[in-house]
Parts: sequence; structure tokens; C-alpha cells
Amino acid sequence: MKLKLRHRESLKGYIFISPWIVGTALFVLGPLAYSFHLSFRTLSLEDNLFHFVGLRNYVEAFILDAKFLPLLLNTFARSLVEIPLVLVFSLTTALLVSRKGVPASGLFKVILFLPVVISSGMVVQELMSQGAGDLSVVRSVTVESSIAIERYLGPAIAEQVAAVFNRLTFILWRTGVQILIFIAALQGIPASMYEAARVDGANEWETLWLVTLPMVTPIILLNAVYTVVDSFTDVFNEVLTYIHSVAFREFRMGYAAALGWMYFLLIFVLIGIVFLVMRRWVYYAGER
Amino acid sequence: MRQAAATRKSSGIMAVEWPKIKRRVKSVVWTGLALWILLTISFVFLYPVFYMASTSIMSIPDLIEPSIKWLPLEPTFEHYRNALEGMRYWLSLRNSAVIALGAAVGHVLSAAMVGYGFARVKFPGREFLFGLALFTLLIPPQTTIVPSFMLYRNFGWIDTYLPFLVPSFLGQGLRGALYIFIFRQFFKGLPWELEDAAKIDGAGSLRVFASIMLPLAKPAILVVFLFSLVWHWNDYFEPMIYINSFSKFTLPLKLGDLRRQMEQVFGSMSVAQMMNEPLRMAASFLVILPPLLLYAVAHRWFVESVDRTGLVE
Repeated sequence: MKLKLRHRESLKGYIFISPWIVGTALFVLGPLAYSFHLSFRTLSLEDNLFHFVGLRNYVEAFILDAKFLPLLLNTFARSLVEIPLVLVFSLTTALLVSRKGVPASGLFKVILFLPVVISSGMVVQELMSQGAGDLSVVRSVTVESSIAIERYLGPAIAEQVAAVFNRLTFILWRTGVQILIFIAALQGIPASMYEAARVDGANEWETLWLVTLPMVTPIILLNAVYTVVDSFTDVFNEVLTYIHSVAFREFRMGYAAALGWMYFLLIFVLIGIVFLVMRRWVYYAGER
Repeated sequence: MRQAAATRKSSGIMAVEWPKIKRRVKSVVWTGLALWILLTISFVFLYPVFYMASTSIMSIPDLIEPSIKWLPLEPTFEHYRNALEGMRYWLSLRNSAVIALGAAVGHVLSAAMVGYGFARVKFPGREFLFGLALFTLLIPPQTTIVPSFMLYRNFGWIDTYLPFLVPSFLGQGLRGALYIFIFRQFFKGLPWELEDAAKIDGAGSLRVFASIMLPLAKPAILVVFLFSLVWHWNDYFEPMIYINSFSKFTLPLKLGDLRRQMEQVFGSMSVAQMMNEPLRMAASFLVILPPLLLYAVAHRWFVESVDRTGLVE
């Protein structure tokens, strides 16, 4: 039986992606579904079997567990501070490096991307514990400003900001990819736009805000999502280490599964917020 | 030009050139400012590396001496010797290399094939399945770690390198979908005429892929290979969960192990821990040394990766 051309094409397509289908089903969807299934169960130590307990794990996470909710909210608050910081920093750096006439821009790009290559989690942990991220310059600034911040923005935010300063170097270390993406995006802006702006008499500052920035807003969205995912899947994250200890030290697999799922949902919530916030500002040039 | 001609008549040389000079000076000033900011940022980025290098060669007397911050009076390589031994460096290096290289190869092969399918072949559900692939990037490791562990245990793969190698050949693994995305973007950017010409000449899809598309994809292949290599090399989490025997530990695991041993012997917050800092820094430096060397050679490929694969179009 000779298949129709369209069907043959589809079959070929499926064959090409077949390794991925097998892999996803086996290593992603399967574990994900089983993890969901586990989250409604608890491992009984007497008979080493899982027993159905309904929503108890979820309820426990919210009400009984003194550690989880604060950790979750802490992570959430931390990302509220970190994500804008990362975006502003990486865009600014990309703008500076891409600027015409800056000498050694190639060398700067190499330096900026270097941390991505050497950022082994363990190594960064080591450096942090020895205070290598603590720059004395930054420290002197923070003492004065932290008092002001606390007074005007409240202790919760001040605490997050202080935490950010302590880890500033390593937060910035994770911006290499974003910087690179922004550089590519900046190069993608057609020169005709800049020329038109110059003809219309825009100075450099105006060009930045009225031409460059609107053109990169889709990439800002991309980088925002990437930053959220990157910081949430960092394995030395507090919530993640907690879930890890619940699973492998306390052996409460069902509970750990429930925690993992709630954390997963939080990522979705955050990405949803990012989309909602950016939706009004993203300008798609040339798309309908 | 007209402006210059008009001012030429009024008051001498300065009036002629003044607008140009002003612009020039402003440009230089701003460029200077940009340069200064970039230098500062570079310093911040490189600070930990300098710290690592400098601390790792400090002898104990230099470490204690408060007036010595960066340059030791009597540099020593004893910490490196100890670290090499304490981490069983060459064995662990080999372990790390096996996983990193193997997984990188797997990712290149599978992502190229799958990316090509998503990019150039039409089939129902294509967009949805691709979206699903991107979706898998959002899943934090802890959500699936318990069932994954059980799965691998059922397969008997615990304490082997299979949990890293097999998924990578199936387009999964550490950021596997990202590589699929990279290849898809790349293949999408290639002209259709190549394929059409080959098909007219009677080549089947597989032939088109293997003989024409794949050789053209060298930039994407290199980028995916390098990134997968580096990310697997630096991975701490998955090896920690799946590898139990010390002889199979990768370098990051060995570093963590070293740290734990030091903590057990000396306690967390004692002066002795401070004495260990050079050792731990030497060990850390040895862990990042291979990627660092790779970067020294191939940095161009890393930095230009986004451009070469057409990721941001």
C-alpha cells in the first residue's frame, strides 16, 4: 500500500523525532506523572508501600511545615529583586559592549562569558563560603543605603536587597548567556532605523529610549523567562536543597513529590506574571 | 556644510570647528565612561578567579599574616599536590570526561536529528510537540528526581554512567531541549533549494539529512557540543544522586567530598577550616581548569554561538 505523499511526509517527520518522543515519554512524562501520583501518597515505613492520603501532603506543606512556605516565599521575593537586576545589568552591559568605538570589545565579551564556563555549582559554593563574592566596595555602599531602604521600602525588601548584595558577584556571574543574547539582539536592529532617527535629529539618549529599547523588548521577555528558569533550577537553591533533604534524608517521597510539584507551579506563576507584565510593553517589529 | 560656511564668516577658526569638536569630545567622554564601567564589571567578574588563584598558592604563614592579601611572600604548590591526591584527580578527571564527552556526543546526534525533523519536515502536531519540548526545560530537577531515581534503579543503572548517556542520545538530559531548539533554529535558516535539488536527484530524506544538511550544520554542531560538554562537566546534582562509588565520582563530586571530609575532621567554623582554604581553592581551581583551558582555545565559539546559530532572529 503506497501512502499518500502527505502521509509519507508526516511519517518521515515522526521518524526523525522518534528518539525524542521515546526519551520524553520515558524520562520526562513518565517520571512527571509518577511524581504527581506520588504526591498524593505517603510511604508507610511498616510495609514499605505507598498509601493514598489525598491532599494531605499539600495541606501539610502549607499549614504544618514551618520551613517550606517561608522558603518558597523567600525564593519568590528573591526573584522579584533579582530578575529586574539581572535584566537591567545584562542589557546595560550588552549596550556598553556593543557601542561603536569601544576598544577591546571582543576581550570584554570573553571575560563576560567566562563565568558561564567555570560555574560549577560546587565551586561557586566554595567561593561563596570563603567570601569571594564580597567586594569591600559594595559593602561600604550597602551599609548606608540599607538603612534608607529599610525605612522606605520595609524590612522584607531590605532583607532581600541585602542578601543580593552579599551574593552580587555570583548573581552577576549567571548573566553571561543573557548578555550574549542581548548583544545578538542589538546587532539585529536594522541600521536604517538608527539612520532614520539621526535624520530626525534624535540625540543618543533619545535614540536609546525610542529606537533601541522598543526593538529589544521581545528579547527582554525571552531573557526574563530564561532568568526565571535558570535561577529556579539552580540546584543549590534553598527550596531545592530542602526538597532534596526531605526526599533523601527523611525518605518522605510522597511529601517531597508534592513539594516538588508546588515549586513547579510557582515557576509557572512567575512566568505568567512575567508575561502579563511584559505583554503591554513588548513591541514586535514587522509582525502582525 | 552650510552651517560651517555661515560661521566661517563670523569669528575665526574656533567657530568653524566648534560643533565638530564638541561632538568629538562628547563621544570620547561617553566612550571613556563606557570603557570604565566595562573595566569595573570585568574586575567584578574576574575577582573570584583571582581570589582562587592567589589563595591556592598561599602558604600557611602567609595566610595568617593580615597584611598579605593578594601576593604571598612564599608561594607554594603543596596545596595543589595535596588536592591532586585528595581528589584522586586523574581518575576523577577521566570520569568527568567520560560523562561530559559522551553526553555531548549524544546531544549533538539526537538534537540534530530531532531539530531537523522539527524544522524541515511537516507533520501534524509539530508545533505542539515542539512546545512540549520547550516545556520540559521548565521542569525543576527536584520534581522528577525521585521517580527518575526509581526508574534508573529498576533498570540497574544506578552507579553507572547510563543515566547521563542514554537520555542525551534521546534528546533529553541536561537542557536537552535547548539543543533541539538550537538545531531547529539553525536548520530553519537554511535555504530550501538545497533540499529540493537533492530530492529531484532522487535522494531520500535520510540521505538529504546525512549528506547535505548535517555537514552544513557544523556551527550548530560545535556550539551544542561545547555547551553540552561544559554544562555536563560542571554538573553536580545528577552525578551526586546517581553515583555512589567513590571511584566513579566526577570532579565536582570529589570537590564536595573533600569539603565534607574537611568539615568532619575540623568542624565547620573553626580556625582550622580557614587553614584549609588554600587547599579547597586549589581543588576548585583544578576542577575548573579543564573548562578554562577549553575556553582559552575555543572562546570565540562560545561568544559567537548565538550569532552563528541564528538563535535570535
